[in-house]
Amino acid sequence: MSEIPVFFLHGLVYAGLLFLVSSGLTIVFGMMNVLNLAHAAFYMLGAYFSYTVISVTGNFYLSLIICPLILFILGAFVERFLLRPVHVYGHVQELLLTFGVAYIITESVKWIWGNYPLGVNLSGFLVKTVNLFGLVYPVYRLFMFFCAVFIGLLLAVVLYKTRIGIIVRASVDDSEMVNALGVNVPLVFTGVFGFGAALSGFAGVIAGPLLTTYPGMAAEILVDAFVVIVIGGMGSLGGAIVASLMIGELQSFGALLIPKLSLALMYMLMAAVLVIRPSGLFGEEQ
Amino acid sequence: MKGKRGVPALAWGVFILIGTVLLPLAVRQYQLAMLTEVIVFALFAVSYNLLLGYAGLLSFGHAMFFGTGAYTVAILLNRVPGLSFYSAVTLSVMVTTVAGLIIGSLLLRHKGTPFALLTLAFNALFYAIATKWHSMTGGDDGLSIFRPEVNLGFTQFSISGITAFYYITLGTIGMVMLFCWYFTHTAMGQTVLLIRENEERMKFLGYNTNISRLILFVFTSFLAGLAGSFYALLFQFTSITAISIDMSTIVLMMVIIGGTGSFAGAIIGACVYIYLQDFLSDVTDRWPFIMGLIFIFMILYVPKGLSGLIESFIERLRECRHSPGKIEVSE
Amino acid sequence: MAMQEPKDILKVKNLQKDFSGLKVLTGVDFAVKEGEKHAIIGPNGAGKTTLFNIISGKYRPSSGSIFFKGQDISRCPPHVLTRMKVSRSFQISNVFQELQVFENVRAGVRSNYGLRYHFLKRPGSIPEVNKRTEEILALVGLTEVKDTLARELSYGQQRALEIAISLSTDPELILLDEPTAGMTREETAEAVKMIEKVTANRTLIIIEHDMDVVFSLADTISVLHNGTILVSGTPEKIRRDQRVKDAYLGEEGD
Repeated sequence: MSEIPVFFLHGLVYAGLLFLVSSGLTIVFGMMNVLNLAHAAFYMLGAYFSYTVISVTGNFYLSLIICPLILFILGAFVERFLLRPVHVYGHVQELLLTFGVAYIITESVKWIWGNYPLGVNLSGFLVKTVNLFGLVYPVYRLFMFFCAVFIGLLLAVVLYKTRIGIIVRASVDDSEMVNALGVNVPLVFTGVFGFGAALSGFAGVIAGPLLTTYPGMAAEILVDAFVVIVIGGMGSLGGAIVASLMIGELQSFGALLIPKLSLALMYMLMAAVLVIRPSGLFGEEQ
Repeated sequence: MKGKRGVPALAWGVFILIGTVLLPLAVRQYQLAMLTEVIVFALFAVSYNLLLGYAGLLSFGHAMFFGTGAYTVAILLNRVPGLSFYSAVTLSVMVTTVAGLIIGSLLLRHKGTPFALLTLAFNALFYAIATKWHSMTGGDDGLSIFRPEVNLGFTQFSISGITAFYYITLGTIGMVMLFCWYFTHTAMGQTVLLIRENEERMKFLGYNTNISRLILFVFTSFLAGLAGSFYALLFQFTSITAISIDMSTIVLMMVIIGGTGSFAGAIIGACVYIYLQDFLSDVTDRWPFIMGLIFIFMILYVPKGLSGLIESFIERLRECRHSPGKIEVSE
Repeated sequence: MAMQEPKDILKVKNLQKDFSGLKVLTGVDFAVKEGEKHAIIGPNGAGKTTLFNIISGKYRPSSGSIFFKGQDISRCPPHVLTRMKVSRSFQISNVFQELQVFENVRAGVRSNYGLRYHFLKRPGSIPEVNKRTEEILALVGLTEVKDTLARELSYGQQRALEIAISLSTDPELILLDEPTAGMTREETAEAVKMIEKVTANRTLIIIEHDMDVVFSLADTISVLHNGTILVSGTPEKIRRDQRVKDAYLGEEGD
């Protein structure tokens, strides 16, 4: 079928999106041992903020820059003033707090923007299609994919070639040790959490025009992100890349074979991996 | 809670008992229905608190058992003619308990975050099954039921009226909750607490901690199934809401608001949540948002919940009474 | 002689343990007779606590076997071993901090009386359980503080509680892991007297660094060095053994 390459490309695009969302999630988990249940809510906020920025300014590219910034600040705020105080009460409380934040963000979104889907309209070359090896493919999807790859490369450069990157990677490995070496680990936590939120928000901005912007979009991508980090191994960035590709293609071709790859099926996939190999396919053995 | 036995506690107990029995005389139908709803959710919350507060297991999917109870009783009453009230409820609870055994055996090998994620996953599965299996569950439309007669052998009566149903609920769930309270003082109840306190040592004292956790999990699923059954019978209708993740969220909020540290916390939380929701929803459409704010506030600033606040308050009163004006000398 | 030779209650054969490539135990062989007081000494890091962890079921051996009263217990989990009357104490006190001393000990006692998972009976509902708990508290000298919370005890009292909890399951074989660690001279002397009393009718294996304790309690001493038993024998034999002296006997107590 000539559609297969198209679906393959669709899968790549969604994989890129998933990677942007799950990379922040997995790094935060690896570093702070907290699964941020509000992570997908940040993604949703990115899309909604973008909608507003575009409504007001008409400029998509501006939104690409401003919204992640806003989310960075919001993420840092959540970590510093909500998550950190609760750390002393234990894991359960931390998880509950992120859950509460996710809940509030979802309700706020319904309140401010309404409980119905919003459409984001783009203009210019982004709405065109391009001829790709004989295939006619939407430019915007390619744009999304290249954004994801660009950010991914940027992430790799920062993590592996800069001093702050070394600190972050070391903190994922052993934050107590890093603290003992004199690094202000709480600040690193805040920064990384904020950055993860920004990444997630960025994903939301670029997802908005393609997928519908509606209050359920957080729940939709949350389960896929969970599956990605569970398969890829909590804390493993490389694992997140591979798992994102897997799930991206799965969702894309799954839509071809099964009309609606339901939420429950994805959850069951996550459950299966958790039960069979809890450390993921690429994570460290506990 | 030591030392709460004795004359004052007994007096309180009797007072509450008389109060709840005489209540229908004093309140309107609508309020009675709400009170019955509070009793049902109090049991659901107590079952969840045994999981979270006592055993330390955070589950995001406890509604899968609540909903199974609700659906089973609805399906049974719709398909099996002549089923009496307690037969239907008993069967429904048995089915839910088996579900609890299966799910618990699968999930309890995991702890903490993986366990929480798994409960979420299975709740989603139950929800999907309830939604898709239209022929059995009515899908999005739900199932409506009529309350069957209560057949106690020597007497038979209808509970289609809210007053009668209130008494049946009060009696049945009241006794079960009394047992739950007693349970926390039994050997098993203490074992659960001790395992949470120091699991390793318990293993070295001869306790099979995996089995203990499973037993507790199954017990809480039994209780949730009972609550769910009464829920369906109260509203004479059951829908996918009963088995949804939203429902799991509701009971979680009830328990956090009420406080996980004491038995009464769950009951207080259920009361407060239901009455607050009723009040707020008259005032604004955005009541879930306010609930969310209260939830976060509780986690940040009142980690022991309302029951914790009440306990501290009572402690403070007691100290004032025993040594007014004296400086407290700690031993 | 008409006296019957006491049997081996514990037999360890060629026990080995690797932790991801790190060989902690390279082949441990020794036997303990019923009623014996057997001390295991050796330099830090020799693998003594690991040995205890394997015998008590916390870890599985990489190879080799352990026989308790003739039965292979190499793969038994801790709760099964405890029910078979093997018990242990921990080097770092592993008590129930938020519970009273009495309840700490009763937790183990009631385990023996069918009160583990009982849905109807309360922990104190069998008078025998309470009586036994009081007896153990008296033996270790904690009767006065039975209502105190564990975390409010002094260090010496915590170590006594640690031993009391190990006794609560009425073991035939008790493993004590450095029970006098961190104690003063007086506390240590008291502890030794108490340990003699409580292990009178039981088999004892004790890990210790304090040589005075070892020589006053032990019938037999085994020296664990580099993951294997260097030599086993009576205190006098060990005292005179050159290898042992070379290994570390110079470090007298702590």
